Amino acid sequence: MREWIQGILWIVECFFILYMLGYASFLFLSVTVGSSDLYAAKRRNLLKNELANDYYLPVSVIVPAHNEGITIEATIRSLLALDYKLYEIIVVDDGSTDQTAQAVREAFHMWPVNRPIQRRIPCRPEVAVFETRAYKVPITLVQKENGGKADALNMGINVSNYPYFLCIDADSVLQYDSLEKIVRPVLEDSRVVAVGGTVRPCNGATIQNGRVVRYRMPKGLLASMQVLEYDRSFLASRILFDKFNGNIIISGAFGLFRKSVVIAAGGYDPDTMGEDMELVVKLHVFCRENGHPYRIRYVTDAVCWTQVPETLVDLCKQRRRWHIGLFQSMTKHRNILANPKYGAVSFISYFYFLIYELFSPYIEVLGLLATLLAFLVDLINLPFMILFFAIYVVYTAVLSLTAFLARVHTIDLRLTVGDVLKAVGLCVVEVSCLRFVMAWVRMTALIGYRKKKHTWGQIQRHTINVE
Amino acid sequence: MGSQWILYGYGLVCLSMLAFNLLYSLTLRAGDRRLGRRVAWIARQASPQLERVERGEPVEERHRRRLGRRLSRVKGLLAFDRYLDQMDGENPAVQGYLGQLLPVFLRLSVVYRRREDTQAAYFCHLLTRHQLYRRLRGDHQPARLQGKMLLRMVSAYLEKDSLYCRVNALKALCAFGDEEIVVEAVQDLGRRDGPVLHEKVVVETLMTFAGDQEALIGQIWSRFEEFPLSLQRALLDFIRFKSGGYCPRMLSLLMDNSRDKELRFAAIRYFGRYPYEPARQPLLDFVADGDPLRWEYAAISASSLAWYPGQEVVDALSKAMHSGSWYVRYNAAASLEAHGLSDEEMARAAGEDRYAREMLAYRLEVRQRMEEAAKAQLEEEEARLAAEAAAQAAPGRKEAVAL
Repeated sequence: MREWIQGILWIVECFFILYMLGYASFLFLSVTVGSSDLYAAKRRNLLKNELANDYYLPVSVIVPAHNEGITIEATIRSLLALDYKLYEIIVVDDGSTDQTAQAVREAFHMWPVNRPIQRRIPCRPEVAVFETRAYKVPITLVQKENGGKADALNMGINVSNYPYFLCIDADSVLQYDSLEKIVRPVLEDSRVVAVGGTVRPCNGATIQNGRVVRYRMPKGLLASMQVLEYDRSFLASRILFDKFNGNIIISGAFGLFRKSVVIAAGGYDPDTMGEDMELVVKLHVFCRENGHPYRIRYVTDAVCWTQVPETLVDLCKQRRRWHIGLFQSMTKHRNILANPKYGAVSFISYFYFLIYELFSPYIEVLGLLATLLAFLVDLINLPFMILFFAIYVVYTAVLSLTAFLARVHTIDLRLTVGDVLKAVGLCVVEVSCLRFVMAWVRMTALIGYRKKKHTWGQIQRHTINVE
Repeated sequence: MGSQWILYGYGLVCLSMLAFNLLYSLTLRAGDRRLGRRVAWIARQASPQLERVERGEPVEERHRRRLGRRLSRVKGLLAFDRYLDQMDGENPAVQGYLGQLLPVFLRLSVVYRRREDTQAAYFCHLLTRHQLYRRLRGDHQPARLQGKMLLRMVSAYLEKDSLYCRVNALKALCAFGDEEIVVEAVQDLGRRDGPVLHEKVVVETLMTFAGDQEALIGQIWSRFEEFPLSLQRALLDFIRFKSGGYCPRMLSLLMDNSRDKELRFAAIRYFGRYPYEPARQPLLDFVADGDPLRWEYAAISASSLAWYPGQEVVDALSKAMHSGSWYVRYNAAASLEAHGLSDEEMARAAGEDRYAREMLAYRLEVRQRMEEAAKAQLEEEEARLAAEAAAQAAPGRKEAVAL
């Protein structure tokens, strides 16, 4: 029996050595490439290597909202403060049960219109449409029957007037120059069909007219850990994948798309919870299957500030939803796996997301169980295990810190000594504790997901610190 | 034991990363101070030269050499940029001083041509900024010759791989205002492989052309067939923004069935901006064309016809309101509204067609709301002015009460 267990543990050990080597190498490569890319971008900006003239592509900004009465006004006001000339704002209220639509109507003095809507993508019917032209750009509010976030975005696309659309979350605030920065890849290369921007947690930041006037690490430990996690994950995969047109996710909180291509590909899938990822994977599939030359880009200097959950319950809800979305997107487009037609998208991006995102919680929990089993049958080398864990924690924490500092340095934010110390301490806690809690949450996410797949997933909202 | 070495290897990576973070933070802090010192050095060097220029004396050759050496490093160029920010560009002494730096910039153009693309792009940017082109352009023969040489050197920057460098070089050339060189530069852009620059960038950059715009358009027409399609479209857009004097040429382009549809669309848009009687009939024909495959012609023509008065146009647009294409109906409704039709006339145009009625009703609704909003704004403005007038009169009233 002992020999049998020993054999199994040997196989598990070999697997984990390969798995961890792969992860550690990927993390090192991506943080190194990401950091050097950020520093190179900073140098390019310093030496005016940028398209800085008034090149305005017309953009429709779509804000899907469901029970966002607390934050929606601040979000629209931040959109009105954008340093950009040619855009429109479309708020889609997806059957809210709170005062979301009323808050928008009253705050912006909107009037009802009988606006004909061309349904280029199927979506649930509208209940009422409101407009105003009294501001810098036209604002449209569409109240529709509840159909989920993807359905609301499809309605926004149908209502939009411009050839490019930008989707943002109703609890997010765009930095004043973010629209100008996110359209630049389209100007640089007309093959670009989608651009993802950087999403940063705004908990702790004070934003005035779309500008961050004061930046501190959030007071809550959980939110602070997410700051580090966001910086690591955005730096970890997106910049590296961008090098070979391999990004398969653009955050739903901030992404620009060419409307004609999205419509041709069928728009957002209302049956998917991770509609943002599903759309990007679908664009890869559509463009490659139809021989359409395309690029999907990621820009580091277009920033969207978003609220991250401040309680563990909310964070678990959010991560559960993300994991379900990941599962749905990966399984729906499983034909990409090991398909030479998709090149690096298949063999690097899809494979990475499959092993290190979708399966990782199961693998990590399996690893813990194997360690426990080895401990029980006295087959564990305790000093080595402690050394291994210590190096793992320090290694990942240092890379998180590098990503965080690279981000802070390159957007000229000033941190206090207290914030730096807080970041140093919390990156260790995040890697050694929060990560395992999240692994458990993601592992159990798929249990009963079919019942929840059309829900928005309510998270406690707070007024964004916008002055 | 082997796996322990792997772990130590990763530990070493951690230490290197930490050292990198620390060093970078320190370098970043020191960078601003060093730039400040460089700006101060340039200011100290330039100050006596500015005094010389004020006295009508030439800039010293020794100063030119020293400055040239300093500016041949990109950090020096950055400091010079910062120094010029602090100077009054309209001061005749500054202008005279910069004018005498033409040989320095000519040498620098050779130096930066060989440098990495990022630095080359910055050199072009500096030439455009601070209107250096204007100041470097001398009136006497040697200066004109040197200016021409500088232009030739800058146009060689278009061969660089970096897109930013090519765009900055094109901007610098536009700022110098030589139409022949600019048109050659645009042709060079079109010949390059790789990412295709968005046409908006080409149009907006050409809009900054500082020379004779009509001469530039003349050059574009003379070599129009040599440009690739994407650039031809951009160039037609540029002409549309700049001049209405090319209607016959645009009409022949519109009527040429062998032309790409994008070029013909550009011509239709041109006639929307500059109404031209001979274009009326072709536009009406496009709107009347019921071929669903040619809906784009109908939609754009319906939009352009907004600026052509006459009953036949109203009739054609009214008919277009029943088109199978949503875009044709939408544009026709907008154009009918621009024709100033009354509500009854609009209702007649829509007839019994539900889609047409919805579209026109929406346009009317928007018009009505816009008028209401404008009226409300006017009333608000009047109330504000009245309040201001009352506030100004108030002290007098107080005095009267006191008396």
